Amino acid sequence: MTIPDKYALEALHINKRFGALIALNDVSLHLEKSTFHALLGENGAGKSTLVKCIMGYYAPDSGELMIEGKQHDISNPRHAHQLGLGMVYQHFTLIPNMTVMENLVLSRPHLPIKIDWRAERKSLQERIAQLPFQFQLDIPVSRMAAGEKQKLEITKQLLLNSKILILDEPTSVLTPVEADEVLGKLHALTQEGALSVLIITHKFREVMTFADEVTVLRKGNCVGTATVKNVDTQQLAKMMVGTEFVKKTLHRQPSLAQEARLEIHNLKVNDDTQAQAVNNLSLTVHSGEIVGIAGVSGNGQRELVEALSGQRCTSGGEIRAHKQPYQGRREDMRKSHFYCLPEEPLRNACVPAMSIAENMVFRNFDHLPFTRYRWLLDRRAMLHHARELISQYKIRTPGPHVPIATLSGGNVQRAVLARELENEVDILVVANPCFGLDFSAVAEIHDKIMQVRNRGGAVLLVSEDLDEILELSDRLMVMSGGKLVYETIPAQADLATIGRYMAGQ
Amino acid sequence: MMGRLFEPIVIPFAALLVALLLFGIFITAAGADALGVFESMYRGAFGTWFSWQNTLVRAAPLMLTALCTALPARIGLIIIGGEGAVVVGGMTAALTGIVLTHASPIIVLTAMAFMGMTTGGLWIAAISALRHYRGVNETISSLLLNYIAIAIMNFLVFGPLRDPETLNKPSTYHIGEANMLTEMGSTSIHWGFGLGVIACVALWVLMRHTPFGFAVDITGGNMRAAKLSGLPVARLMIITSLLAGAAAGLAGMIEVAAVHGRANSSLNANYGYEGILVAFIARHNPLAIIPVAILFGGIRASSGLLQRDHDLPDASSLVLQGIIFIVILASETLYGRFSWLRAKEKTV
Amino acid sequence: MNETEFSLLNILIAVIGGAIRVGTPFLFVSLGECLTERSGRINLGLEGTLMMGAMTGYGASYLSGSPWLGVMAAGMTGVILGGVHALLCQQQKVNDIAVGIALMLLGTGLAFFLGKPLIQPTAAHLPALHLGSWSDSPVIQAALDINVLFVMGALLAPAMAWFFRYSRWGLYVRTVGESADAARAMGLNVNRVRMYSTMAGGFLAGVGGSFLSLYYPGGWSEGLSSGQGLMAVALVIFARWNPVYCLYASLLFGAAATLGPTLQSIGMTWGYYLFHAAPYVLTLIIMITTSSSTRLLSGMPGQLSNVK
Repeated sequence: MTIPDKYALEALHINKRFGALIALNDVSLHLEKSTFHALLGENGAGKSTLVKCIMGYYAPDSGELMIEGKQHDISNPRHAHQLGLGMVYQHFTLIPNMTVMENLVLSRPHLPIKIDWRAERKSLQERIAQLPFQFQLDIPVSRMAAGEKQKLEITKQLLLNSKILILDEPTSVLTPVEADEVLGKLHALTQEGALSVLIITHKFREVMTFADEVTVLRKGNCVGTATVKNVDTQQLAKMMVGTEFVKKTLHRQPSLAQEARLEIHNLKVNDDTQAQAVNNLSLTVHSGEIVGIAGVSGNGQRELVEALSGQRCTSGGEIRAHKQPYQGRREDMRKSHFYCLPEEPLRNACVPAMSIAENMVFRNFDHLPFTRYRWLLDRRAMLHHARELISQYKIRTPGPHVPIATLSGGNVQRAVLARELENEVDILVVANPCFGLDFSAVAEIHDKIMQVRNRGGAVLLVSEDLDEILELSDRLMVMSGGKLVYETIPAQADLATIGRYMAGQ
Repeated sequence: MMGRLFEPIVIPFAALLVALLLFGIFITAAGADALGVFESMYRGAFGTWFSWQNTLVRAAPLMLTALCTALPARIGLIIIGGEGAVVVGGMTAALTGIVLTHASPIIVLTAMAFMGMTTGGLWIAAISALRHYRGVNETISSLLLNYIAIAIMNFLVFGPLRDPETLNKPSTYHIGEANMLTEMGSTSIHWGFGLGVIACVALWVLMRHTPFGFAVDITGGNMRAAKLSGLPVARLMIITSLLAGAAAGLAGMIEVAAVHGRANSSLNANYGYEGILVAFIARHNPLAIIPVAILFGGIRASSGLLQRDHDLPDASSLVLQGIIFIVILASETLYGRFSWLRAKEKTV
Repeated sequence: MNETEFSLLNILIAVIGGAIRVGTPFLFVSLGECLTERSGRINLGLEGTLMMGAMTGYGASYLSGSPWLGVMAAGMTGVILGGVHALLCQQQKVNDIAVGIALMLLGTGLAFFLGKPLIQPTAAHLPALHLGSWSDSPVIQAALDINVLFVMGALLAPAMAWFFRYSRWGLYVRTVGESADAARAMGLNVNRVRMYSTMAGGFLAGVGGSFLSLYYPGGWSEGLSSGQGLMAVALVIFARWNPVYCLYASLLFGAAATLGPTLQSIGMTWGYYLFHAAPYVLTLIIMITTSSSTRLLSGMPGQLSNVK
């Protein structure tokens, strides 16, 4: 008789390089059966690379994978599924234009040549009834809220009889209440012995509340594994960042003037399907303040920012800057010193194939010092200008002439920030500025945003990261269903109340 | 420096060689003597001063129609409506010439060029306006407009505008011998070639060295970034297409004023479609269009010789062009894969 | 009075018969394009495939004496051209619209080159079903000669709809077309699914081409196709990527294209050449009315929105 193995999954001495970058250096991870295991680390620490090696997306350069004590070479995700591994990705892998039922059936490994939808419906209904989350089978996924989609992703994996479930930052799209519901139910499943869970996260709260064990990665190295009962947040932070993590407090000048800079009246904006995404929204941002808008993604924040940045037409209402109507034309932007730091800067604010120098003059290329004889471009001045900004903002790059797409995410963000803050800024719209950046980059960017405010700029910060909003803003609002449903100041903020409003109740 | 120039020069050349090789295999399989064919092609295109002149005359409309695809491509629109713009441009130019036939030649030619460029420009600008305001796919609509342009021309030359003396090839009335575009100096190359070169150089300066061209490149590179910078995207698109269409319209005018003297089905002689190919090979750079257009003018000029000496059908130049196009597109995937060159450059 | 009524009926029947005749190549090409686009790729090269299909179909029928062998040969040519398209498009940085244009030019050129010897000879044509034999009017009889290929195409349209909804492979094609990332996460080989879809789409377009040379207008000439292949792409958008709608839309286009000749046959000659433009104008109008600059089209496969 063999003794059943203690571990559901072991990754032993995994190494992975991408060119010159060492993504994983001799990393080992042990996931005990029927436990809830957290994989903690900063952005870029190698968490995603590790699970992608486990799931067969990448072939590790060396190292071993053991499942239930047996060694396996997992060559592709399908193979991983056969071994009972299931993964819930950060970006949804559901197909929006298909119904819930089609999505669930499609994920089955062995589909019959002809699909008997009636039989499928019956068996799905029976099986879902035993699982923690319930759905209507006939609505298209595109009409579901983010939280529902996340639950559907998990259900999809559970229906596949996955014994080991890997989740990549599953709570980033959920309200705090939803996050607790989802993680709580998963935790319950592990305690029943039905499942082992490995969850990637950078939120200490989730680790402390739900996880049994935690493994910490830092810069591609495994720092250690601990039983959650025996550690505290301070210790985890130290493991994650390397030194005792001292958070530099931002210098916030007491605000003085209260002059309305950015006024939005009854704004209406449609999304790509022509449905109203921003619904009669009104808002005023004054000089010398940061107004934070929190909310679960998909509640109209993206459309609001796109309307403000000129990327999307409005279908009603008015935007005023400095009490003047604002149309989003180039002259308006210059005149009212209106700048924007959109989310995903490479997609929204750069031409990836153009050089850094070129990308840095999008705001000013049609004026001195970048023009000669009024209508010719001075490319040498562009290079010179880029060199200055590169050293000033500490952008790491081989030089100003390389395509901006070759820079890392943090450096792209710095380059765009340098461009947008170069001129005098009276109004700044910022969206999810720190998504996917590491601690030091986040601190720098927060500092720059705070400086704009301290100099008397009006800042509108739209973010899905509630902590960021609590830290930076002077006033905080919650957006839900295209409307601002709640306003408070961070000092008096109550997480439970905010969570309720985020969930749309 | 060498690394940066390496790719845009070596890759297209290598691709051209591969394409010629494939074409050689193809015609060998079809029973022709490949080396002899290449020799004839060279002779027919660049062998003598006479064949050079032939080549340059054919390169003139190609440069202009290539601009018609290249400029919109820089702003992100794939427009293949050059053929239609040549036809409508040539048609209105001929009409203008017929109406003004007794005025002084310089006025006639200027008016013809103006009218041809205006109609060609509006023709292509309409495509990008439809794209921007109605979301109509510009590639398909531009191709449909080619057929519509040809139908309109056929209606006019078979009907109301037909010169009864033209029997085999129904055409409009002649614009008058005195009003024809003359040749450059003592050559037999008409001024259309000069106009083509001037247009390419001028548009290169506009696209590469002015804020307008920079704004076009931003818009073509990423529409969202352009909107974020407050650029007037619609205006940029329409002006660019207007210039592109004007170039193709001018090609039509030149064909009428320098070659045929009338508008007829010779206007849709595939210059528009070949221009697409020239633009793609030149990677939408107006300056690079000049040599590429001359090369393709040479292929065109030698096609008669191929038919005579090797009994190859006239479609063989179409096949060669098709092969070149495919190989050039396939070679796009090679760009940026020579990073070892850049690395070496730095250590030097 | 009776006479005019009769001739109106004649016109109507002639237009219906013409719609079917002229619409059949549209039907095949649009079904082929529909399949390709549902897998997330646009193939503008079907115009070239159509010409190559017409040429090889005619050549094979002439050499073998069997028009059905011609149809098969045309289809196989389409498979090869589709394979080339798919192979090129799956390389990095290669733009599928540009590849389509290139294949359109190459296909047309090759068809002209290889088809040169086929202009003179006569090949065996495809048979027709004589549905008009109840009438003594030759006009009606001619109009209601329905080709077998049309019947096949008309059956294929609902069959393809069934395929997308009920078969495993249909679901896979849709998955790849809606979200390549999701398909990859599922372990599907995106490039392979697209390769097969483009090849199958090419097969149908090739068959559509053989109809041109083996039935209507019949014979091989360089003016056989004038943009039908490209109009079929627009037609798929109009049909909202639904194969059954492709059938209706093809008939509508066929009717528009047959308008000019029909009017001429009853003596309306003015503007004959303008009526040539009718199907193109119709396509353009349909595109203008059904597209939108702010809204994604309903039914559009998710992966096409970045190409649009």
